[in-house]
Parts: sequence; structure tokens; C-alpha cells
Amino acid sequence: MRLRERIAERVAGWARRRQGEELLPLELQSRRLYILPTRIGLGIGALLLIMMLAGLNYANSLALLLTFTVGSVVLASMHECHRTLRGLIVAEATVGECFAGSTGWLELQLQNSVAVARRSLQLRSAGGEAVSLDLQPAAAASVKLAIAARQRGRQTLPRLELASTAPFGLFRAWTWLHLESSFVVYPAPVGRRALPERAGGRSGRDTPQGAGEHEWVALRRFQSGDSPQRVAWKLVARGAPPMVAQYAGDPGARHVLRYNDLTHSSTEERLSQLALWVLECERRGESYALQLPHLSLPLGCGARQRRAALEALGLFVAA
Amino acid sequence: MPSTPKTLPPTAAVVPAAMALALAGLFVAAAANLQHLAWWCLPLCVLAIGWRLSVARHLRRLPGRAARLILVALLTLTVIVNLRTLSGLAVWATLLVAMCTAKLLEARTPRDWYLLCGASLYLLLAACLDREQLWRLPIYVAGLWLVIGALHGLGSGGGTPPALELLRRAGRSLLLALPLALVLFVCFPRLPGAFWALPTSEQAVTGLGDEMSPGSISSLFESDEPAFRVRFDGAVPPPEQRYWRGPVLHDFDGYTWRRRTGGFNGAPELQYLGPAYHYQITLEPNEHNTIIALEMPAAPDLPFAFFTGDEQLIATRSGDAARNYTLTSYPLARNLAPLSASTRQIDLALPANRNPRTVALALALRRDAASDQDYIAAVVRYLRAGGFQYTLTPPRLSLNSVDDFLFDTREGFCGHFASAFATLMRAGGVPARVVTGYQGGEWNRFGQYLSVRQSQAHAWTEVWLEPSGWVRLDPTAIVAPQRLTSGIFDLLGSAFSPTERVLHEWPWIGNVIAGWQALSAWWQDDVVGFGFLRQMNLLERLGFNSADWRALPALLAAGGSVWLLWMLWILRHEWRSAAPDRLARAWLRVGAKLAAVGLGRRANEGPLAYAERCAAQRPMLAEPLRALARQYAELRYGPPPAPAAMRSFARAVREFRIA
Repeated sequence: MRLRERIAERVAGWARRRQGEELLPLELQSRRLYILPTRIGLGIGALLLIMMLAGLNYANSLALLLTFTVGSVVLASMHECHRTLRGLIVAEATVGECFAGSTGWLELQLQNSVAVARRSLQLRSAGGEAVSLDLQPAAAASVKLAIAARQRGRQTLPRLELASTAPFGLFRAWTWLHLESSFVVYPAPVGRRALPERAGGRSGRDTPQGAGEHEWVALRRFQSGDSPQRVAWKLVARGAPPMVAQYAGDPGARHVLRYNDLTHSSTEERLSQLALWVLECERRGESYALQLPHLSLPLGCGARQRRAALEALGLFVAA
Repeated sequence: MPSTPKTLPPTAAVVPAAMALALAGLFVAAAANLQHLAWWCLPLCVLAIGWRLSVARHLRRLPGRAARLILVALLTLTVIVNLRTLSGLAVWATLLVAMCTAKLLEARTPRDWYLLCGASLYLLLAACLDREQLWRLPIYVAGLWLVIGALHGLGSGGGTPPALELLRRAGRSLLLALPLALVLFVCFPRLPGAFWALPTSEQAVTGLGDEMSPGSISSLFESDEPAFRVRFDGAVPPPEQRYWRGPVLHDFDGYTWRRRTGGFNGAPELQYLGPAYHYQITLEPNEHNTIIALEMPAAPDLPFAFFTGDEQLIATRSGDAARNYTLTSYPLARNLAPLSASTRQIDLALPANRNPRTVALALALRRDAASDQDYIAAVVRYLRAGGFQYTLTPPRLSLNSVDDFLFDTREGFCGHFASAFATLMRAGGVPARVVTGYQGGEWNRFGQYLSVRQSQAHAWTEVWLEPSGWVRLDPTAIVAPQRLTSGIFDLLGSAFSPTERVLHEWPWIGNVIAGWQALSAWWQDDVVGFGFLRQMNLLERLGFNSADWRALPALLAAGGSVWLLWMLWILRHEWRSAAPDRLARAWLRVGAKLAAVGLGRRANEGPLAYAERCAAQRPMLAEPLRALARQYAELRYGPPPAPAAMRSFARAVREFRIA
């Protein structure tokens, strides 16, 4: 087992050096495709060998014709298997929000530009579960791949393996994707403290979820950075321009989330509590500011703010 | 609990259509082995297949482990019990079908189904090894097609393609593979002999036997299967001279004529007269070991047979070589050697106390005859006038078979007449023997050969007359002379079934049959018969030194490369870019134009960013390029574009020039 792992490591390193830098979008070329028979393919190979020996031994033409036909079908299938991956385009890779201790999602956009379906595709991250999919002719599909996130902080994407066993499952063609991007694992959003109400840390509500806060009272035009949760999608569906709902519960509600306010806790507990608050504010659609010992984020709300805040928490290094 | 029944998961990993095709393939493969399987084997397999189909359809449970173990043990035991009655290949086929039957009860995972597909391929191989006739080819093709379709289903990934779609894919795979299979078939080096021999089947051979008991047959089974084919190098003998000589029978016990082993060593002294016929005989496979020759073959020089004193060709070994040989014959040859005392004794012997009335008749006729010739003439007259009938459904006879035939039943076929005539001759003091073989043959104009069928098997007699030696006398021809010159249909039209009469009345059906037989002959000679020798002949014809087998790998490599190029070309055509993406192609053309001046698009650059970068580098291009990029982004990411917008974009791309 040890030896196998070491060999696998060596092979991975070799492939890494060989394939070089990989920028998306990436069209899979023959150079980076590898192919080997599967276990069943080896079995069929042994079967064909025995069939051929029998045919030769008895000088039986029909048996040989049968063997050669099956052999040729298998050989042609090898080329088809290779073809299934060749020219496939890996267009985009995005990592969704990923909190420590849970599974994050890597979303890969695959594109098939040819008029033939690419079947039996399997995508797997190193050591992870495989996801199977078929790509229809001239179609794109996105695949979500679970990636384990144990600790908060910056993490590089694991090596991905994109494989196909089409058409018979006798051969397996694959390629390794070394995507250059890294992502930040956010602290796990846990905590028991109530969200600090209003600027200044004055505590107002007891329950974080006040009644009626989901009833919007006014609409304004969408600006970039607004949370998509606040967009009035029903109106968009009717053809209106994207509008953002302004809720009754938050006419200018602001929260200042301070690291230093959270006493009597360890660093990680504090970060987790802050992350929970950030999510809570975003859910309510209320503005918040984040103040860490070496960094402070001004008031804001929406995807950009959320991302900045969570990344800051994820990358936080105690002084 | 070892026998916990396991449920079939509702979403089995194996596509239902793949299961159906694998089961159908297994059925065809097993049925192709029907001729040598134990009798219980195929019905059991069919039952298991039907049961497995219903399990798959209704998602019922598969039996538990204990039930499966018991079944496997029972099946193995049954095969072992049957072992003695089966030959080598049949044991394997039976065992394989039995194991597949057992495997069906637990087939769940794709691996199980792959295993069944592999077993089906093996069964097809066993069938091919056993029987190679052309009419079986569709069965083998069907089996192979189904198995390949099942493999397509097993590897089909996420979708659930219907069986028809799988069969279409399998057909495409087979067509793609066929040229390479043919190249391999022709060029793969064959072996001159077997390196390991399985004990061959020891079943009784049909056709001409070593003995003849006309009294024991109440209905001669007329098989229309071809017995052998003759290709003539030059002239073809007229119908009355088409006597194809087989085993010569000397010993008679009143009921059965038998071949004699020994006593006729040394080649006969023959004087060859009249026209010579050069020909090549191809015996159909699965036939007797007898070597057939047109009377009388001249000094045959066959490595696998010897010529006896009574002009028989005895095979010393069987196999493909003994099925195909070249001879020269002189139908008018004469035997010059004097009759030896021992031969005279053998060919005059009659069993005591058998056929007394025949012996009495012979003595009476002999008393009035002046010479042997007179006596023969008297016997011929007796047969002509006696009201004898030619029939293929004669009554059974007692141990005094000749008495019964001559005085009671008066109905029989060639064997009865030959037996009675030879008995009369011997009783009258004229040495006589019975010759079995074939008589006649039809010209196949499609294949340019003479085809002799099993139904043309014949028996006649030879008598020794002083000046001329052994003379052929065909008593059947005396009673029913048409039997020789015309077909058997004219003679016995009423005796045949309606279908056979239909066949006779509409000759085009006969043409179709002749065409089919010519095709079969080609199949046997050029496909099934393509072995080591034919391969060497082919090399010679292509201009290679025939002994130089190394030319074969070179030919193989050349043919394989051509196939590879052809297949890759086909794949390339199939995997071409999808047609509708005109937009992307137009945009790529912009990129290509810019790349020509060193402004290639970066992999991670969107259209607008790309346009901006280029515009910064080449301010002259800024305006048209920004417009193009904006147009492209709108068409690509906006609502589905109208064809007119697409056209105008394509025109703008065409007109975009870099000065």
C-alpha cells in the first residue's frame, strides 16, 4: 500500500510537470490524456487471447473471424474512449462558500462543442467521491464536486481527475486537472451570542428574527454589490428591471461587529461568532461593519461585503 | 442467516435494456450450441432467462445464497453424470451454459453482467468450432450483435438508452471494426497444424457406412443436403457415367452386407481406356471418412489414402486435407488382373440356410443358361418382368431379406435390388460384390460445379465375367432406368411431399437453391477453408516468396494502418464541431485576425476585456473592435439572437480588417 501511494505520488508529480501551467478555459488535448484498460478490459483481453489460441489451434476460420471481429470492436472502442475526452472544454471553476468542518462545493463548467454526446464522464477530486455525468451534444453542464474543508484559511484546489469509460467500460481515459486557483475556507459559523443591534453596540432585540422583517416596503434599482436575496425576483420574472427590496425591519439598521467585544472566548470561537453574525446580517439584509485588530471593514451589505468579511475572518491571524 | 434474500435495488446500476440484450445474447449463444448440449441444458437456460427477465421487470428478489449453492451443486453433478455421453467440446459448452444459468440467479452488479457477456462470447466460439455452415452465420452475427449491444448498455453511463439505440450503436461498432477483422483474418499467420488436440467427437457418422442392411429400413430418410462438390478441369462426364465409388461390400449374412478388412492389398491392375476426367472433390464437412471417387480413379497419389485391390480409396486419416483432393478418372477403365482363388471364394460366399427360395430360383435359372452372360440375362429378364417397384418406403424384411424382397414384397430401393442381384449372382456361381457410393449429380451453373446430394447415395453390383473382368451392373437401372438419367422426382413424383413437388414445378425455386448452394460452396472453400495453405497461396499470388511467412506481419501492419487512418477519419467526421455555433466561429475569426498581428486572446479573457486590451494597443481599431465585442456579448449572453442579427454580425466580422 505504501509503495502504491508513493508510485501514485511520483506519477502525479510527473504529470504535473509535464502538463505545465493550466489556465481556464482549457480544451483537453491528446497530449494530456492518458488511457489504460480497466479490470474488465483486461478480462476481455484474456478472453480474446484464449479465443484466438483456440481458433488457431483448430485452424477454425469462423472462430478466428469471431475473435478478430470482437478484438477490432474493442480496439476501435479504445479510440472512441480517447475521443470522449479529447476536445472537452473545462470552461470555469468556481468555489462556493466553504466553511470549516463542512463540505464546500467546487463547481466546474464543462462544455461539449461537438455534435456527439460525451458519455460516462466521471469527475473526482483526489481522494474524493466521483461524480458521473453525460454531456449532451453541443451542450454545457456544470458539475458540483464536494471538497472537504477542515481548517479555515487559504487552501489550494485539490488535483482533479476527469475520466471516461465510454463506450464499453473496457478502457478508461483520464486527465488530471491542476487548477491554479486557491480559495479561502471561512470559519465555521457557530456561536450563541445575539447580534449586536445598531451602531454603537446597543443591544435591542432579544430574538434575532423579528416579525415582519420579510415584508418589504420600498424598492430601489439594483446596484452591484446588493445581495441577490434582496432582489425582487418575482418582478424580474414579469420583465421589470431588477429591483432591490427594502425591508420594514431595517431602515438604515447598522451593526458593528467587533472582534474585541467578544471577550472570554478563544480566537477561533470569536471568529466563528463573527462569521455567524455576518451571515445573519446578510440574511436580514442589514448593513454591518467588521472590526478586527488589524483590519476594519466599513459599513456595507451584499455579496461583496459578505465575501470581504468572511475572507477577512478566514485569513485572520492572531497578533 | 446465510440465506437472507437480497433485494434488487430499484435503481440497479445496470440499464434494463442492457440486461435484456445480454439475456437475448446468452440465449442465442446457447441455442447456437444446441446440437451438442445435453438435452436438459437449453430448456433450463431459457427458463432461467425468462425468470430473470420477470425479476428485472417486477423488481422481485433474487434467491438467497443457500438456494444458489444448491443449484450450482446440482448442475455440476448433472454435468458430471452426463460427462460420458458428451464429447470434449460439448462438455465445455454444457458446463458453461449451466454456470451461466446459475449466474443469472445472482447477476446484480455490472461485473456479473460483463461476465455473462464474456460467457456468451465463449459459447459463440464453441458453436463456431463445432459448426461452420453458412446458414449458421446469421445466428452468430445476431449473437455477437446482441452481446456488443449489451456491452454498450453496460458502459452507457448515466443515461438509460432503449435497446434499439444500443443495437444501433452496436451495429455501428461492428461496421467500424469489420475491415480490421477482415485484414486480421487474411493476414494473421495461421498454423500448419494443431499444437494441442482435443479428443474429437466419437459420434456415429452419417452417410455411407461400412455396412448395408436394406431390410432394416422402412423409410429411407432422403436428405437433400449436399454430400460433396466436384469441380472439373475440362469435360464433365455424361449422367450415365456419374458413378461415384465408395465402400465395396463383400460379406453377406443373408441380411447385412459388410465391408471386408484386409484381403485386397496392393493396387489393382487397371487398363485405362476412353476419356479422362480431371476433377477436384470437396466433401462436405461432418461427413464419413470415406473417400469418394469417380469410377475408376487412375493411380491416385493421395498422401492420406491408399488404393485397394477392389478399387476402394481408404482414408488413413481424417481432417481437412482428406476433404479436398484432386483425382483423374477413366469411366471406361478395365481390370486386367485375373481373379484369384481367395477373391473368388470371398465373392461367391453365401450364408447357409438363408434365403433358400432365392438360391432355388438361382439354381433353376442357371440350369437353363449356357454361360455366365446367359445367366445374367436371365436374371435381368426375371427382374424386369417380376413387377418390382422402386420405392423409398419399403416394408421391413426378415432375416431372409432377399427371399422376402424377391417373392413377397417386391418393393425396395437401390440397396434391395443390389443385395438381391448379388445374391442371385453368387448363388448362380458368378462372383459378385456390392458397391456403395453416389450416382448422378446436378450442375450448379452459379458455382460451375457438380453438386452431389446425400439423397443420391446409391448401391450397385459388380460381377466377374471371364474376358472383361469386373463389370458394373446396376440392378436399379434395370427396374427403374429413369432413376439414372433423370431426377428422382420424375420417377416418384407421387411419393413426395407437397413442398417438394412445389419445388419441382417452379424451377426458379430450384435456381434460388442452386444459388444458395453455390454461395455455401464459396463459403466452405474460401472462408471456412482459408487456412495455412490458402494463406501461402495468397502470398504467392501477391508476389511474395511463399515460404516467407514474414511477409504476413508486414501485410498485417499495412492493412492495420490503413484501417486506423480510415477509422480515425470516420471518428473525426463524427466528432466534428456542432453545427449551430456559428457565433463562436465568427468570434474566433476575429481572434485569429488579431492574433496575426500579435494580439492573441488570452485564455482567461472575456470578449470585452480582450477588445479593451487590443484597443489600447491599437487605437485605430478601437471603434470597430469595441462594437464587435459588444455585439458578440449581446448575441452570446442576451436573449436568443434573431438570424438577421447573426448574419449582420458575421458580415461585420468579414468586413473587419486590420490595416
